[in-house]
Amino acid sequence: MSTNCPTSFDQTMLSGYIDDELTQGEEQRVRLHLEDCESCRQMYLELTTIRETAMSTRFENPHDEQWDESPRGGISLFTRGLGWTMAVIWLASVAAFGLWHAATGPESLVEKLLIFGGITAAALLFVSVLIDRIRVSRTDRYREVKK
Amino acid sequence: MAANHPPTAVALSAIQAQTVLAAQAGDAEAREVLARSCQRAAFHFALHLTGHRDDALELSQDAMLRFFGSLGRFDASRPVRPWLLRIVRNLARDRSRRMRIRRVEPLDSDDGGPIVEPVDSSPTPEQMAHRSEMQRRLWSAVLELKPRHREVIALRDYLDLSYDEISEILRVPRGTVMSRLHRARSALRAALQPALRKEVGA
Repeated sequence: MSTNCPTSFDQTMLSGYIDDELTQGEEQRVRLHLEDCESCRQMYLELTTIRETAMSTRFENPHDEQWDESPRGGISLFTRGLGWTMAVIWLASVAAFGLWHAATGPESLVEKLLIFGGITAAALLFVSVLIDRIRVSRTDRYREVKK
Repeated sequence: MAANHPPTAVALSAIQAQTVLAAQAGDAEAREVLARSCQRAAFHFALHLTGHRDDALELSQDAMLRFFGSLGRFDASRPVRPWLLRIVRNLARDRSRRMRIRRVEPLDSDDGGPIVEPVDSSPTPEQMAHRSEMQRRLWSAVLELKPRHREVIALRDYLDLSYDEISEILRVPRGTVMSRLHRARSALRAALQPALRKEVGA
């Protein structure tokens, strides 16, 4: 398999050429290069064969009645959402109770530091995930697409 | 000069926009037309992402539900397919994060026969068998690709989407689509040697 083009030609362009996605100038440059370069010509032919083989492949489609069956969703999505909400409320309650207990209770300094450290670490992780989610949602052109 | 030309892309997108508007208004027939025109693409893309027929059907059904659930907010002037395939991709990624998608397995239909079928009209049974074997090998190689290479091959070489549409779905620049596609095809090329070299008669 000869893959190494002796020139500085960017072989990525071959895929654009096969897909007819290059500008007129780029297309001409590729065409001229293919006339002279045997290794790129070989690569072009093989990549074209891959595309043609893929394009000629057909898959067995689901029957119409299979499409009409209800997928898992509805109830499981609802219970998952409810579960997450309850878990967040529970975690927030436990954290608040832990903080209050550590602040007012008779625990040693080391115990208080462990409690504060654990809760602070969990809060920081939560905030970092939240910031990432907000950043992604602001730049996502498809943000209205459900996930 | 009144030849019967096939509908242009502009005309097709106008028809689709009308269908979307009718579906948004609650027209059941328009919803049915929209579903029928899109669900196969959703299924095929899901098949590439999951490697499992049952998982693909469930994923694409779920995507169709979400697609129609958010149809009211959809801008009818935009193409439908990238939108739907984006939902499929989001769902697949979400599930793979949670459960680490199962290792892909060879696809067989329920009766044990091959799911990959040649559709070209090769004149001899030998040529048909040969083409079918190449398709099967290619499919196995595609399932071994990295997920981001597999999805770009699925979108371009199996679903025939343009670079612009793929760019919208994957949220990457057009140039990245081309380079990623080239890396994916190069990986397939390496995986299919020496059969591929023999195929092109080198």
